[in-house]
Amino acid sequence: MSKQNTNIPQDYKYGFTTDIDNIKAPKGLSEETIKFISKIKKEPKWMLDWRLKAFNRLKVSKEPNWQKPKYPKINYQDLYYYSAPKSMKDKPKSLDEVDPKLIETYNKLGIPLNEQKKLSGVAVDAVFDSVSVATTFKDELTKKGIIFCPISEAIQKHPDLVKKYLGSVIPISDHYFATLNSAVFTDGSFVYIPPNTRCPMELSTYFRINAAETGQFERTLIIADKGSYVSYLEGCTAPMRDENQLHAANVELIALDDAEIKYSTVQNWYPGDKDGVGGIYNFVTKRGACRGKNSKISWTQVETGSAITWKYPSCILQGDNSVGEFYSIAITNNHQKADTGTKMIHLGKNTKSKIISKGISAGKADNTYRGLVDIGRKASNSRNYTQCDSLLMGNKCGAHTVPYIKNKNSTSTIEHEATTSKINEDQLFYCNQRGLNQEEAVSLIVNGFCKDVLQQLPMEFAVEAQKLVGISLEGSVG
Amino acid sequence: MLEIKNLNASINNREILKGLNISIKPGELHAIMGPNGSGKSTLANVLSGKEGYKISGELNYLGKSLNEISIDERAQKGIFLAFQYPTEIPGVNTSNFLRTSLNKVRKAQGKKEIDALSFLKLVKEKSDELGMDEKMLTRQLNVGFSGGEKKKNEILQMKILDPSLIILDETDSGLDIDALKIVADGVNSARDKKKSFLVITHYQRLLNFIKPDFVHVLADGKIVKSGTKELAMELEKTGYKGIN
Amino acid sequence: MLDLKIHSNEIDKIGKFSKEEKDYRIKNLNYFNDIGLPNKKDEDWKFSDLNAIVSKNFKKLNLKLGKSDNPKINFIKEFEHNYIVIINGKLTASDFKYEEKNKIDLKPFTNEDYSNKKENNPLVNLNHALSHEGFFLEVKENYKFNKVLVIYYFYTDDLDENLLNSKNKIKIGNNSEIHFVDFIVNESKRNFFNNIYEEIILEESSTLKNIYLQNDKSPGYFHKYTKNKLSSGSNLSSFIFPTGLKFNKLDLEFDLEGENSVCNIQSAAFLNEYDHQEVKTRVNHLYPNCKSYQKVKNVLNDNSKGVYQGKIFVKDVAQKTDAYQLSKAVLLNERSEFNSKPELEIYADDVKCSHGSTSGSLDKDSIYYLMTRGLSKKESTKLLVESFLNEIIESIKSSSLRNFIKTKLENQLKNEHKKH
Repeated sequence: MSKQNTNIPQDYKYGFTTDIDNIKAPKGLSEETIKFISKIKKEPKWMLDWRLKAFNRLKVSKEPNWQKPKYPKINYQDLYYYSAPKSMKDKPKSLDEVDPKLIETYNKLGIPLNEQKKLSGVAVDAVFDSVSVATTFKDELTKKGIIFCPISEAIQKHPDLVKKYLGSVIPISDHYFATLNSAVFTDGSFVYIPPNTRCPMELSTYFRINAAETGQFERTLIIADKGSYVSYLEGCTAPMRDENQLHAANVELIALDDAEIKYSTVQNWYPGDKDGVGGIYNFVTKRGACRGKNSKISWTQVETGSAITWKYPSCILQGDNSVGEFYSIAITNNHQKADTGTKMIHLGKNTKSKIISKGISAGKADNTYRGLVDIGRKASNSRNYTQCDSLLMGNKCGAHTVPYIKNKNSTSTIEHEATTSKINEDQLFYCNQRGLNQEEAVSLIVNGFCKDVLQQLPMEFAVEAQKLVGISLEGSVG
Repeated sequence: MLEIKNLNASINNREILKGLNISIKPGELHAIMGPNGSGKSTLANVLSGKEGYKISGELNYLGKSLNEISIDERAQKGIFLAFQYPTEIPGVNTSNFLRTSLNKVRKAQGKKEIDALSFLKLVKEKSDELGMDEKMLTRQLNVGFSGGEKKKNEILQMKILDPSLIILDETDSGLDIDALKIVADGVNSARDKKKSFLVITHYQRLLNFIKPDFVHVLADGKIVKSGTKELAMELEKTGYKGIN
Repeated sequence: MLDLKIHSNEIDKIGKFSKEEKDYRIKNLNYFNDIGLPNKKDEDWKFSDLNAIVSKNFKKLNLKLGKSDNPKINFIKEFEHNYIVIINGKLTASDFKYEEKNKIDLKPFTNEDYSNKKENNPLVNLNHALSHEGFFLEVKENYKFNKVLVIYYFYTDDLDENLLNSKNKIKIGNNSEIHFVDFIVNESKRNFFNNIYEEIILEESSTLKNIYLQNDKSPGYFHKYTKNKLSSGSNLSSFIFPTGLKFNKLDLEFDLEGENSVCNIQSAAFLNEYDHQEVKTRVNHLYPNCKSYQKVKNVLNDNSKGVYQGKIFVKDVAQKTDAYQLSKAVLLNERSEFNSKPELEIYADDVKCSHGSTSGSLDKDSIYYLMTRGLSKKESTKLLVESFLNEIIESIKSSSLRNFIKTKLENQLKNEHKKH
């Protein structure tokens, strides 16, 4: 166990650890580790083979180095790839059998799991380090034919769906971290919405890293069958530790004809302390395929945590008339670094995409929007609109915009706009004159700046996210 | 209420106010008139605590010095500035903003926060008094407001925040006659024995609707003449050049 | 695949050099050989894979030129001007009849600086290693040119699979002003690769306006790197009007090295056939209160490809920077392509920086409107394209120059109109 960070900033309220006995895979990355994970998950052979294929690929692939935030070399042999509370070894049948310490952890995080207190209208899958602890509202969803369960369970119970779709959006060989995840992923959520079904509630996964020296490699797979709709939320927190922890998730979305997936993230991994010690490396691959006609995938993200955030939730617009959206707020303070954005790949006819990105940089942080809009030869009558705005607080931080714009179709249109400025002094003065102090004024103005994105979030999360925006910038204005 | 003695203010080494004196008692309405560049807006900014000015002299509000008191604290203590150019703040809902502001002021005065329902009632009441459509408050703060709407919004905020010292910085500029009447009605209905007003204006026009107790002429950073409302009439005839 | 490694004994073929200079050239050649011609894996060459383009179109690249007679230059008659003539990179003639001679210094380029490093652009290293022609032009202090200077870059018809490297340096003294036109005349109908390195120095409060023009569209593979250095109070405007080459990349860097310096870069291009045209800019705001403005317009027909990569860099001390960048492209054909990467890298907070980039077809409503007024679809398109590009040309103050460029564009569009 590494020592707890003693220089605890008051503003990260999720920095506690849960003291619990763990089962861990042997340290290091090897075939043995992968076999250990596969065995403890009681996986069928095809799954293990799939993992090993990824592992072989990993041996010949290299870590990317084109991104702006550089990080010290990660020693992959010095990490645990699997860590789960002992009590979770024999799967608890019901919540009563779950270790109270775990329930308590989620209560503290504001995610009550027991039936009486659970969040109304939101079904939650709670993932603690490498395993799913509990999934609420399962019965009600089952009645509609909706599958919402840990992916390890889906591998056993719904192998056909998993086999068909896993790795179909993010191939094993995609890039280093995606390959790594394919080899060692532990848990995550699986969602299947049957044809012509509107999921009656928000589905949500809450990720928690607890154990030290452990990487979290979750895998999420969401399939919206023809004519279905689902809104999915994810939240994340981690304890405060002096070491950097790796989180390398893969998320794959598949929308068939006329289906819609709305995926929202409020990412609040531990960002490290004021001097940049500790924090999560959030290297995540998220990609959605609008495979069917008239399908739609919409990503919304509020990124306030992590020492380094590096992700590009993307849409592959294959189906004619499909729509991709990306709404993002990325806030970096102190020594945080973020390099985030999206890729919109237009392949089908009449495809549309929209990108709204708001970057806020304070302290000594560095914030980069990086995005690709690619309209292919066959994507006639397609459209993209991109708006990237950056706000800088102080001259020790950086804000960067790096869009790649490719248009190969003369009937399609791409529009891109970006601005960079500091927080407007007249606005601050106006708010001050109405009795708001500097921090309240900043929070208010920044929330206004982010409004176009915040309003995309489901109600329950929007309020939380607004507070988070304010908290993340505390101490950033003299 | 407000006591200003020998106030000097400069910005970027340029002197703007050069020994200004004025004294306002509770219940009084003072008008400050002056040509462009005489320092009218600087006076409003300095009273509100805006940063960037180098200041000397005495500024006393309710018997206490305002030195070292920040902008938001002054606002919480009841100083209200109606802006000449109210700032647009995109994405911020006007109603939420006003409620936040009101609660800050109430909290500073030891009152408890107002609940959503009472707030809506208060807004409805005050907008009705002003003959305004409260739907304006569902829009983003001053964004896309016409000049007149911005000024009316300032007066509505004044009515709701119920401040003690009100500074109107050229509130009449850019208003048509109908909007001017609404603004003037708002000011007149807010007048009572406890409140003081400092009305800054370039033209005498506003003073046809708002009757001042005293009129001062500001020129080159100083009060060069003081009198009653007749002084404003005189100015209208002679222009600022006739003074001195 | 073409072997792109160049042996160091090629340097001896160009000329005899001092040991110091030879070392410098060998080092630069090694830097180049490490990378070779850049390919699309190199971020700066993402949209213009030079390695693939050259490999596909060249069997060899000859450094040695054939002996050609001095060609006849058709001087521009439309306006009075001073001139310099550069043939295949070599300074061969000049005339400054409208100016005071003692205010101007013109001579063949000689290198004085042997410091070397691995450059971001490997073609710069290639140039340092192999260039042996070019000119140095200096405008002394407090002198304003009376007439425009036209620099004729003439390429002879015997060029075939040659690699040309040349280097120019232009220095404008304090409070001086010069307007010049880079006028490219290419007589060769065959493939050759032309690699120019240019350094332009604007001293305090000096003014430079330059215009890049091609006499005609032509085959040829051109690359030019220009380093512009702007001292305080200086003002640089650069207008770029390419009319099409098989490959043309202008890599332009602007260092705003003093307060209140201003740079203005504008480009308008009509491209067709298999033209490949890239404008890459990097504006470095290194001091406070500087201003930069960029507007790049492309109209693309047939199989042509347009690229704009523009970067605005703002250093932490460069407060009150005002930087703007706009790229607009019109695609006329289903085989044409436009790629852009408008980039902002900003480390100062009190700045006004923005960019925009659009690409797409001509506005359908406008075409419809013109057609209801009796114009054919082709005529409507021509009119809209012309007005789209003319916006840039209109901002040229000198009416004779403006008309000259306008006529060129008109002719280009007229030919296009006849062709289809």
